[in-house]
Amino acid sequence: MLDSIKDIVRKSSIHVCIVNCGGCNGCDVEVVALLSPRYDLEQYGIYVHNNPREADVLLLTGAVTEQWRENLKRVYDKAPEPKIVVAVGNCPQSGDVFNQEGGHVYAPASDFIPVDAAIPGCPPRPSEILEAILAVGPQAIANRGREEK
Amino acid sequence: MSSLMWYIYDFARKAWADAFTNAKSLPELAEKPERFRDFPKVNKEYCIGCGACTVSCPSPNAIKIVREKDDETGEGMTYPEIYPGACIRCGFCAEVCPTDPKTLECGHNHLIKPEFNIIPSKRQYIVDDYLCIKCKKCMKKCPVNAISLVNDKLHVDQLNCIACGECVDVCPVNGAMKGVFVENLQDQKDLILLAVNYLEDYINSKEEDLRSLEKDSLLQYNVPLDDIWDEALKIIPDDEISFEIISNAVNRLKIRIIDWDKDKCKKCQLCIPDCPTKCISFDEKEDTIVRDKDRCLRCSICYQTCPFSVIKYFIAKFSLEDDRIIHATVKASNLNEEILME
Amino acid sequence: MILPIGPIHPALKEPIRLKLQTEGERVVKAEIEYGYVHRGIEKIIEGQTWQRGIYLSERVCGICSYEHTQTFAETIENICGVQAPPRAQFLRVITNELDRIQSHLLGNSTFFKSMDHETLFMHVLELREYAMDAIELLTGNRVNMGWNVVGGVKMDADERHFKPILENIAKIEEGFERTRELFAEGPALALRCKDVGVMTKKEAIKGRAVGPIGRGSGIKYDYREDHYTYKDYFDFKTIWRKEGDNYARTLNRFDEIPESISLIRQAIDNIPKGDIRIPVELKSGYAQWRNEAPRGEVTYTIETNGNLIKHISIRTPSIPNMDSCAKYMIRDVASVSDAISTYASSDPCVACAERVAVTNEHGETYLTDICGVK
Repeated sequence: MLDSIKDIVRKSSIHVCIVNCGGCNGCDVEVVALLSPRYDLEQYGIYVHNNPREADVLLLTGAVTEQWRENLKRVYDKAPEPKIVVAVGNCPQSGDVFNQEGGHVYAPASDFIPVDAAIPGCPPRPSEILEAILAVGPQAIANRGREEK
Repeated sequence: MSSLMWYIYDFARKAWADAFTNAKSLPELAEKPERFRDFPKVNKEYCIGCGACTVSCPSPNAIKIVREKDDETGEGMTYPEIYPGACIRCGFCAEVCPTDPKTLECGHNHLIKPEFNIIPSKRQYIVDDYLCIKCKKCMKKCPVNAISLVNDKLHVDQLNCIACGECVDVCPVNGAMKGVFVENLQDQKDLILLAVNYLEDYINSKEEDLRSLEKDSLLQYNVPLDDIWDEALKIIPDDEISFEIISNAVNRLKIRIIDWDKDKCKKCQLCIPDCPTKCISFDEKEDTIVRDKDRCLRCSICYQTCPFSVIKYFIAKFSLEDDRIIHATVKASNLNEEILME
Repeated sequence: MILPIGPIHPALKEPIRLKLQTEGERVVKAEIEYGYVHRGIEKIIEGQTWQRGIYLSERVCGICSYEHTQTFAETIENICGVQAPPRAQFLRVITNELDRIQSHLLGNSTFFKSMDHETLFMHVLELREYAMDAIELLTGNRVNMGWNVVGGVKMDADERHFKPILENIAKIEEGFERTRELFAEGPALALRCKDVGVMTKKEAIKGRAVGPIGRGSGIKYDYREDHYTYKDYFDFKTIWRKEGDNYARTLNRFDEIPESISLIRQAIDNIPKGDIRIPVELKSGYAQWRNEAPRGEVTYTIETNGNLIKHISIRTPSIPNMDSCAKYMIRDVASVSDAISTYASSDPCVACAERVAVTNEHGETYLTDICGVK
C-alpha cells in the first residue's frame, strides 16, 4: 500500500536516471549522498531511480568506455522525449585523467549524445550538483507541459 | 521486538511531521570548509610563465599557459588558464608554483612548505645517431635490456631505462651515448653560450698571434676555466652538473673564428652584398666597415670574397679533461689558398 | 531460464551485468559479466612520475580512494627504504578509519536499498554525512582527498580540526546504536537476511574472499594486524562472525564501525608531535605492499626506474569478493530479489575491479575487459 502511495506522489516529479559509463565511482557516491536526509533531493520533486525508460533527466557520469560507445546511444534512445542530459563531473566533459596516453576512454560524451548541462568537479560537491539540477530541472517540466498541450 | 518499538517511537515523536512541513535545504550545505580545494584561483600578475603547473598537473587538458597579445602598453601577460571541465581540484599546481606570492591558490595547498615542491628531475639517456658506430656494446652491457635496435638505429627505451649509466661507461665513442638532463634546459643553454662566448673572445683577443700565424701551423692555448666558473655556478649551482655540461659541450666544440684586420681594409665594400645575413654594413660617418658579431654566421663567404686578405678565418678545437684547463688548438683555414691556386 | 540484470538497473549502483539462471522462482546459478568501466588506469600510471601517480591511483576507485593513495605512498616509501614520520602515520590512521566508516555505511545503505527498506537506507546515509563532513574538513575534499603524499601527509592538523572530528564521530556513535539495532533485531529485515546467501569458511577460502565478506564467513584475518602503524601504536580487535550469510556480512560491517571510532579516538588522544612529511628521493627498485581497504586487502606492486613508475599492478578486493559472491553465495537462493540483495551484501565496487586478469581454478585466465586490450 505504501508503495502505491509513493508511486502516486512521485508521478509528477522529475525522474532521474544515473548512467555510469565508466568512471571511478566518485560522482556516483556523491549523487547517492544527495538522496540522504541532509540534502534530500526528493523535496524538490526529483526522484532518482535507475530506469532510463521513464527518465526525464539522465545524469551522466564517467568517461565513455569501449563497452559504452554503442550502448550509450541505446540508453539515450530508450528515455522518452523530452529529456535532458546532465554530465556530472569532469569525465563526460573531457575524460579527466583517463584521457591520456594508455587510457582507454572515448570522452567527451557529447560525441555520442547531446549533453545539455555540465557540472565540473572531480567529483563535484553534492551542493554543487543540487544547484545545477535545480537550474536545469524546471526546463524539463516546461518541456513536458508544452508536450501535453 | 525492540526495533518495532523504535518504529512506533519514531512515528510518535512527530519529527517526520516537522520535517515534512518544514522541508528546505539548509544554507549551511553550500558552505565550504576552510580547506576546501576549489578550482585554483589565478593571480595573473605574479606569473613568470615557467610552466611548472602544466608539468605537474595529472590531468592532461586542465591547465594551459596563455599569452595575451602585445599592445601599446607593453608585452602581453603570460598566465595559466584553468579549464574547469578537466581540472581535478587536486591543488598540486598551487603546491609547485615557484613564485612568491603564489600565482595559483587552491584551498590551503599553496601554503605547503616550498622544500617539498620538487618537480622530478630526469637524466635521460639517448643515442647520438651521428656518432654511434653500432658496436652494440651498450646493448650487451645494459642490465635491463632497455637498448634495442629500431630501424637499424640503437634506441633507448625510456620506460625500461633505470638510469644506471653503464652504457656511457662502455661506449667507445666519446659522446655517442649521452645522459642529458631534461630539466632546466634554458639554464643549460645559457651555460653553453657563456662558455662558447668566453672561448671566442679569448682567441679573438690574441690578434697578433693570429695574424702572424703561418700556413699549416698551429697555435695552442691553455684557457683556464676558473675565469668563468663563478658565473657558471650562478646559472647552475651544482658543481658536478655544470662541469659535465661544459665539458660535454666543449669537447665537441668547433669554433670558426673570424679576424678582421681593419688597418688593411680598402673599403671596397665587396663583402657587403655577399653576406647572407646582412651583418656587414658600411658606416658612412665613421667611414668603416662594421660587422655585427651577433648576427654573423661565420660562414666564411666574406673571407673568400675579400681581395685584400683583410678577413682571416681560423678553426679552433677544444678539449677539456678533469684538470679544469681548456686546451685550445687554432688552425688557419686553407680555403683561400686552394681557390687561388685554381 | 537466464535472467540478465544490468548494466543499468534500479538495483545496481554501478554498471555490471548479472546473469541469473532461474528455475521457477529459485535462482540456481549466477554469472557476472564485467567490462563496463575499464579505463586502463594502470597503463596510464605507467611512465608517470610518482608525484602524478598518487593522484591517478586515487581514481582507481572513488569509494575507497583514500586507501589506494596510502598503499601507493607506502609502496614507494618501501622502495626508498623510509617510513613516514609518526605524526603522519597517526593522521593517516584518522583519515583511513573515517574513510572506512563512510564506506561501510555506504555499503550497508545500498544493501538496505536493494532490500527496498528505504527507512534504514536514509538513516544510514544520514550517519554517513557526518563522516564525510569530517573528511572534508580535514583533507579539503569529500571523495578524492589528495591528502597523502610519499613521505607523509600534505597538511598538518590541530585542535581546530580534531575537535569537529570528535564531535562528528560522537554524532555517528549516537545514531549508530539505534540503526544497528533496527537492523539486527528488526522483525522484517533479519528474517530476510538470515540464512540467505550462505558461504561457508571453506568456500570463502576457495573463493579468496577478503575483508568483511571473508570475515563474515569465519576467516579471522585483517591486514591491519600486521601493519606497522597499527601494530606499534594501536589496540583494536578484529571483528568476525561464523554464519556467512547476508546478515553476518552486514552486521560485520556495522560492528567494525565502533572499532574504527575507537581507533580515531586513540589516534587523536595520543598523536605525537613532529614533522608531518619527510623529503623522499626516489630510488629504482621493486616493492609490494598491502593494506586493509574497507572492502578487504589491497595490494600494490610497483617497479620504478629511479624517476618514473615502470610497472604497476593493483590487486583490489572486489574481484575475489564478487566472484565468490557469484559462485558460492547466489547458489540456490529463494528468489530473484534475494539474489540481488545477496549481490549487494558483498559490497561490490565495480570501478576497482575493472583492471585485472582473473585466473580461475582451472587455470584459465580471462581479462575483466571484453574490449580486447590484451
